[in-house]
Amino acid sequence: MLKYSFKRVLWVFPTLIGVLLLLFSLTYFLPGDPATAILGPRATPELIEELNSRLHLDRSMPVRLGYYLKGIVQGDLGTSVWSGHSVSSLMAEALGHTAILAVTTLAVAAVIGIILGAFGAIRQDTPISGVVTIISLMGVALPDFVAALLLMLVFCVKIPIFPAIGAGEGFWDIIMHLILPATALGIGWVGYLARLTHESMVDVLEADYIRTARAFAIPQKSIAYVYALKNAIIPTITVLGLGVGKLLGGAVFVEIIFSRPGLGKLIVDAVYARDFPVLQGGILIATVLFVLANLVADISYGFVNPQIQYD
Amino acid sequence: MNTTATDVMQKKRRLTPGWTQNFTLIFKSIAKKKGGLIGSIFIAIMLLCAIAAPWLAPFDPNEQNIVQRFAGPGLPHLLGTDYLGRDTLSRIIYGCRIAVLVAFGAVSISSIFGVFLGVVAGYNEGKKFDYFIIWLFDIVRSFPQIILALAIVAVLGPSLVNVVIALAFTAFPFYGRIARAQTLFVKETDYVKAAQAMGQKPIKIIIKHITPNILAPVIVCLGMDMATMVIWESGLSFLGLGVRPPTASWGIMLRNGYKYIQVSPWTIVWPSLAIAFSMIAFSLFSDGLRVALDPKERNR
Repeated sequence: MLKYSFKRVLWVFPTLIGVLLLLFSLTYFLPGDPATAILGPRATPELIEELNSRLHLDRSMPVRLGYYLKGIVQGDLGTSVWSGHSVSSLMAEALGHTAILAVTTLAVAAVIGIILGAFGAIRQDTPISGVVTIISLMGVALPDFVAALLLMLVFCVKIPIFPAIGAGEGFWDIIMHLILPATALGIGWVGYLARLTHESMVDVLEADYIRTARAFAIPQKSIAYVYALKNAIIPTITVLGLGVGKLLGGAVFVEIIFSRPGLGKLIVDAVYARDFPVLQGGILIATVLFVLANLVADISYGFVNPQIQYD
Repeated sequence: MNTTATDVMQKKRRLTPGWTQNFTLIFKSIAKKKGGLIGSIFIAIMLLCAIAAPWLAPFDPNEQNIVQRFAGPGLPHLLGTDYLGRDTLSRIIYGCRIAVLVAFGAVSISSIFGVFLGVVAGYNEGKKFDYFIIWLFDIVRSFPQIILALAIVAVLGPSLVNVVIALAFTAFPFYGRIARAQTLFVKETDYVKAAQAMGQKPIKIIIKHITPNILAPVIVCLGMDMATMVIWESGLSFLGLGVRPPTASWGIMLRNGYKYIQVSPWTIVWPSLAIAFSMIAFSLFSDGLRVALDPKERNR
C-alpha cells in the first residue's frame, strides 16, 4: 500500500509537466498570429508589438516555454491582457467563491444522501428507496445547468424569494446566494451518494460481524447506525474527496447562470475576452486541484479499504 | 494436422453467430426489461426526429415571425415561439439532429482512438510505448473535462465540428484506460497464446483476437458517454461556444431563453424537457445494454 501511494504520488509530476506543456501549446495552436487573435482585427501594429513583447510572443518557441515554466515555478501566472491584474490575484479571489459553493454543495448532498441511503437500506419497507430512485432519476435527467435555469425560473423570476445573481456579502446574504446554485449542482450528487450508501449498507448489513452483533442482542438501532453505518459510509466519504475536485472545475455553468464570480466564470470570461494568460492560469489551477483531489481519493481509498489490492 | 486445424476453425466460424444475429440478440435482451424498452423507444424517437426533421417539423426552424414572438403553447405554434417568433417545436425537432450528431460523432471518434491506443499500449505492456500512452492518457484525464473542452473550443473557435473534436479529445483516455486494462487480461488467455504460437503477426492478433473480446465494457461506456456528450454540447452552446446560431440546438435555445427569462418561461422549459428526455433515454438504454452484455445478469 505504501509502495503504491509512493508511486502514485511520484506519477503526479510527469503528468503535471504534461499538463503544463499542453497548456503552453494552447496559444501555439491559435489560428494565425496569437497577438492578432487576442486583440482582434482592429488592433494597431503598435498594440500588437507591445503585446508580443509583453507575452514574449516575439521570441522563439523554446524561449517562450522557458519564460512560461520560469514564471510558474516562481508562482507568477502572468497578468491579464486586459485588466492588468496579476492572474494569481484574480485566481485567489475567484477560488474562494467556488470553494464555498463546492464544499457547501457536497456537505449538504452528503448529509442528505447518506441519511436517505442508509435509512432506505435499513427500513426496506418504507418508500424511502422510491424517493432515492426519483432523486437519482432527476439527477440523471437534469444536468446542472438545466437544473440551474429551471430553479432560477421558478425561485427568482416566478416566485422571487432568492437572489438571482452574484455571491452576496455578509453571512445570511452569502447563504441565500448559495442555496439555488448548490441545489442545482447537488441534485445529481444526492442521488449518487444515496445509491452508493444504500448499496454498501445492504452489503454491510449482511456481513458476519453484524450477525454476531445481532446474536449478542445489541439493539437493532445501534447495530444499524453505529456498527454498520461506520463501515458503510467509507466508499461515500472517499467519493467526496473526488467530488470537491470535480466541482471546483465543474461549476462553470452554474457560476455563469447565477453570475457567481468564481473560477468557472473567470475561465469562461477569459475565453470570451481571449485573455489567454487568465485562461491558462485558470485552467492550471482547476487542473492542479483536480489532480490533487484524485490523488487524495485514490490513496485514501486504499487506506480505508484494505481489501483493495494493488500491485 | 495443419489442414484439420483450419478446417475446424472454418467450421466454427460458420457456427458462430454473425454480427447481425449478435445485434438482434443483444437488442432483444435489452427490450426484455421495462427500462431498456422505454430507453430504446425514446432513442428511436430521437433518431427519427433527427433523420426526418424536415418532414416532422411543422415550420421552418429559422422562419421568423416577429409579430408572434414569445407566443405561449397553442395553435398554430404547438409549443410556442421564441424571441424572433421562431416555432419552438420545430427547433426542438431540429435540435435532435445536433444532439444525435454530436453524441454519435464525439463518442465514435473518441472510442475508436481510445480503444486503438489502449489495445496497442496494453499489448506492449511495460515497454516505452506503453508508458508514453499511459502518460498521454493521464495528462488529458488530469483536466476537468468541461474545462478542457472549453479551452480547445476557445483555441479552435466555436463550430459544430470543433465541438465534436473537443469533446472527443476529452473523452478518449477513458476508453483507452478500459481497453488497456481489458487487453492486459485478454492477452494472457489461451487463444491469444495459441495465435502467438502459430506465429500470427501482432497486428492481426490485436485486430482479430483481442479487440473483439474487449469491446463489451467499452460499449457499455458508449451509452453513458452519449448522454454526457449531449449535456456538454448543450452546455457549450449555452455559453455561446458551441454550435453557431441560428442553428437550432437545445443549448442555443436555452441561451436565448436565459436572456429572456423574465419575459417567457416557455423558451426555457421546452429545451430543458428535451434534454431531460434524452438523458433518461440514454441512461435507461445504457443500463439495459450493461445488463444485456453481462452474462451473469442477462438471464435474471
